[in-house]
Amino acid sequence: MEQHQEKDEFKRDLLIYFSIIAMTGLIVFIGQLHLKVLEFFLIVPIACFEAGILAFYFMHLMTKKKTIHLVLLLTVIVFVTLLFWPAWDVAYSPRTPSEFTTY
Amino acid sequence: MTHDTTEEFIPHIVEPREDTGLYNSKLGIWLFLASEIMLFGSLFSAYILIRVGSFSWPVQSDLQNVPIGAINSIILLSSSIFYIRAYVALKADDIVKYKKFMYLVIAFACLFLCLKGFEYYQHFSNHEYPKTSVFFAIYFLMTGLHALHIIGGVIVNSYYAGPGMYLRAQNKQWFINRVEVAGLYWHFVDLVWIFLFSTLYLL
Repeated sequence: MEQHQEKDEFKRDLLIYFSIIAMTGLIVFIGQLHLKVLEFFLIVPIACFEAGILAFYFMHLMTKKKTIHLVLLLTVIVFVTLLFWPAWDVAYSPRTPSEFTTY
Repeated sequence: MTHDTTEEFIPHIVEPREDTGLYNSKLGIWLFLASEIMLFGSLFSAYILIRVGSFSWPVQSDLQNVPIGAINSIILLSSSIFYIRAYVALKADDIVKYKKFMYLVIAFACLFLCLKGFEYYQHFSNHEYPKTSVFFAIYFLMTGLHALHIIGGVIVNSYYAGPGMYLRAQNKQWFINRVEVAGLYWHFVDLVWIFLFSTLYLL
């Protein structure tokens, strides 16, 4: 019974493995198209999805305890806060020479 | 020191705590991985902000060896799946299979490092150093830090596949737990590479 379950799990892990490889191939292909801004909006979500399913299945995040989810949630909140704090500053900083003179 | 006396001094090294539902090393590794997320996250943030704030940025895929980067992705992913096989074999008490897969994990990690070294060699041959540009400074810093993590993983995995096997004789379940948390670290290193490859090679 347990052996059968392990076989099923291994089949699932293999499926995940080949899916991630296929997605890696896809982002390489998209990267070769030189789509500029569109490239960013295609590659980043696919990479996030790849990393997500790796964490979800290989790191067993889907079955982990609430404590781990809490640790990760707190980390993400702190990280996103720290990421956007300077981003706000960058957004309002001068860009062109004329803007620099007004400062 | 026997298992019983260790359990007396350090509780929950095998059995999970009631409040967290986790044994010590699993909670410890997740806290460690959280700190690692902050470390790599801060570097990714710095990269994004520098790139967004700069007037011009090189076409990264022209400067990088994308095929080698893609092959390295497959190598690391393969090592992750081998690690899962090793862990399953260890749980099933199949030590021969466990060692075989652990050695495969180590071999693939070394192969990854060799290819990374070859890439660095190519960059240095083209006179591309960390001082060359902001992009190369970020590239060498982030991939270098990732390579250090791989080396750390290789050391730990080599220990658990070789000299550390005596720990299994002391306490089987504790050893399985140790290998499991080392595996979580290994998968995390793989996960970081997915982001490094897509952001530093393709975008």
